[in-house]
Amino acid sequence: MEILIYGTINSITLALYALGFAVVYGVSRLPNFAHGALYVLSGFIAWTLLNTLRLPYLPAVLLAVLATGLIGALIYQLVLIRIRGMEIAEIIASYALGLAMLEGLRWGGFKGMTYTLPALLSGSTIIAGVPVDYQRLLMCGIGAVVIALLWWCTHHTRTGLALRGMAQDEQAAMMLGVDSDRMALVAMACGSMLAALAAILLLPLGSIVVENGYNVLILAIAVCIVGGLGSWMGAVLAAFLIGFSQILTVVYLGAHFQMVVAFAAIIVTLILKPSGLLGQQKELEERV
Amino acid sequence: MMAGKATRYGLVLALLALMPNHPAVAQQPIIIGSPLSIGYLYGWDAERGIRLAVEEINAAGGVRVGEQRRPFQVEVIDTRDLEPGVPVSDALLAVEKLILDKQADFIIGGPVRSEAALAAMSLLSRYKKVSIVTTGVLTPRYHTLIKEQYDKYKYCFRIHGDALSLVDEIFENFSALQSRYGFDKLFIIAQDVSHARDAARLMERLAGERGWDVTGVEIYPTGTADFSMGLLKARRTEAQIINIWMDMPESAILLRQWYEMRIRALPFGSTLAAAEQPGFWSATDGKGEYTLSNVVNAGNAPSEATPWTMRFYNAYHERWGVEPEGLGTSSSYMAVYVLKDAIERAGSLDPDAVITAMENTDMMGVYGRLRFDPRSHQVIRADNPADGAVGSILQWQDGKRVVVYPASIATGSIQLPPWME
Repeated sequence: MEILIYGTINSITLALYALGFAVVYGVSRLPNFAHGALYVLSGFIAWTLLNTLRLPYLPAVLLAVLATGLIGALIYQLVLIRIRGMEIAEIIASYALGLAMLEGLRWGGFKGMTYTLPALLSGSTIIAGVPVDYQRLLMCGIGAVVIALLWWCTHHTRTGLALRGMAQDEQAAMMLGVDSDRMALVAMACGSMLAALAAILLLPLGSIVVENGYNVLILAIAVCIVGGLGSWMGAVLAAFLIGFSQILTVVYLGAHFQMVVAFAAIIVTLILKPSGLLGQQKELEERV
Repeated sequence: MMAGKATRYGLVLALLALMPNHPAVAQQPIIIGSPLSIGYLYGWDAERGIRLAVEEINAAGGVRVGEQRRPFQVEVIDTRDLEPGVPVSDALLAVEKLILDKQADFIIGGPVRSEAALAAMSLLSRYKKVSIVTTGVLTPRYHTLIKEQYDKYKYCFRIHGDALSLVDEIFENFSALQSRYGFDKLFIIAQDVSHARDAARLMERLAGERGWDVTGVEIYPTGTADFSMGLLKARRTEAQIINIWMDMPESAILLRQWYEMRIRALPFGSTLAAAEQPGFWSATDGKGEYTLSNVVNAGNAPSEATPWTMRFYNAYHERWGVEPEGLGTSSSYMAVYVLKDAIERAGSLDPDAVITAMENTDMMGVYGRLRFDPRSHQVIRADNPADGAVGSILQWQDGKRVVVYPASIATGSIQLPPWME
């Protein structure tokens, strides 16, 4: 039961880390290496709104999510749009921006372990003999809702369908009147807001530290590669695969092997199925 | 003509008036190079300790070197060695830059991570730079190496306790808990870094030898953000104490999870950076209550160890707006005073003369009597500040860091959380 409960929690955590990255890449084929930095930045924005401007919790976190989305959109509009299509340049530019954000925060004095966001729910309960805290349960609930909403939006809304169209075939979508740059901008804003949402849900479990940004980026990339770059549902599936593998590793091998699981999953995926679990588009490209 | 002369005299007088009172300031400064991982507690608190001591010494006239009085000057370079993934070679470059580029006469502070400090020893020997390690660096290998190869590593000193002394202090407390509450089951959680792994292995071995049942050892990679399975193992095996060796920021998550899950085992940490900081209470909304942490030296938490302890404590608070924060604070501060004392007794900056003087150091400081073992250059520890450098173990109780060990300086005793009583 411990494995089931904490495997699910770990999987949804990984899914929340990765969804924003997967959305951006899926739509615009843009590997947003500033994803981890946006995650941390949103945490510090929320912290500042709560503690410096003394805003109530809900407006503060909503503003933080919106501000992060705006920053993501600006990154695309001011920098990434100019190099779109040049993959190496995209990686270097987005990573450099992320690095500048993270190290800028550190340089600006955001260091130490005393920056924290309040948990929405305090306390814990026992589920089938296993203690679980309410914040993690809430995170699981909201995570599941976000995944469902993402699916619904991409299947039943005009913008969502346009995003899916872009993800499936950009040229064809453009022929049908979809504005590629606009959709990439929307995807970048949505991806950044998803990173912020993950931060709002997960950071109250610990403290906001710059190093989180690097860890989140690594895990998001691992999940997306295993799931199939560009596939959102693949990312969710991969999050569960890696999430449960990590928990099983901790139980049967030892905690210090759990990070190895993520890297081993990347290597195995690249050897056996380079397109990932549900990376259908890339699979087609590989066949051609 | 007279008016011109008067103007010149006036200018000279004005310049003289503008000069500081102490002749030390006019002299060439003695440069202290500090390689520190300043993005982390053990780096920035050490820097603050060093700067505070330097400011105090300079304000009091500087360091007497023979007939001259010279000021100290601090040069800090961020080694980033506490950050995950940063190679040891980066810390070595920082040390070398301090020596070659910044012309450091002495090195005080780090590198902070044991691996980097061990690697830097040869570098310090090559450039004949006397160094005092003041923060991080808990591996016993450091002073063992000095003892084994004295001629090569005689330039290196350590002014705080090593993992062995921390383990001894922790076991003393475990014994007290055993006799008071009948505890005999221990679970160990450590970070996957050199000193913590070594300490965890040592704890496991010694605990077994001393009749404790070690119900599990979990080594977590740096950056881990979920400790639920380890805590559940501790719960399942009915451990009564969780011994934590972890300096990464994510240890705050571990302690929150422990609190939220109401694990019936007392968290007893060492180098538990998250719990050492005064801001820990507000950062965790009080969910770190009952956490114990060994902060290595007195003065890193409030106590009356020596008359100097609270004087330092208050001066630090006044200068930096925060109480002394954890491992590395009082030791870094004292290292500057120890160096000043050694230089003054040596009468020069010659490394060999300073080494001899340091080996003969015997002064009272913030955390007791400071002396170095003349062969291993390790500070001599004691339970009583009158005899040697004393450690300090604190417990968070009702929003305060209460010193519970050693008895000679304790301001309270260990409390159990209500769900363990």
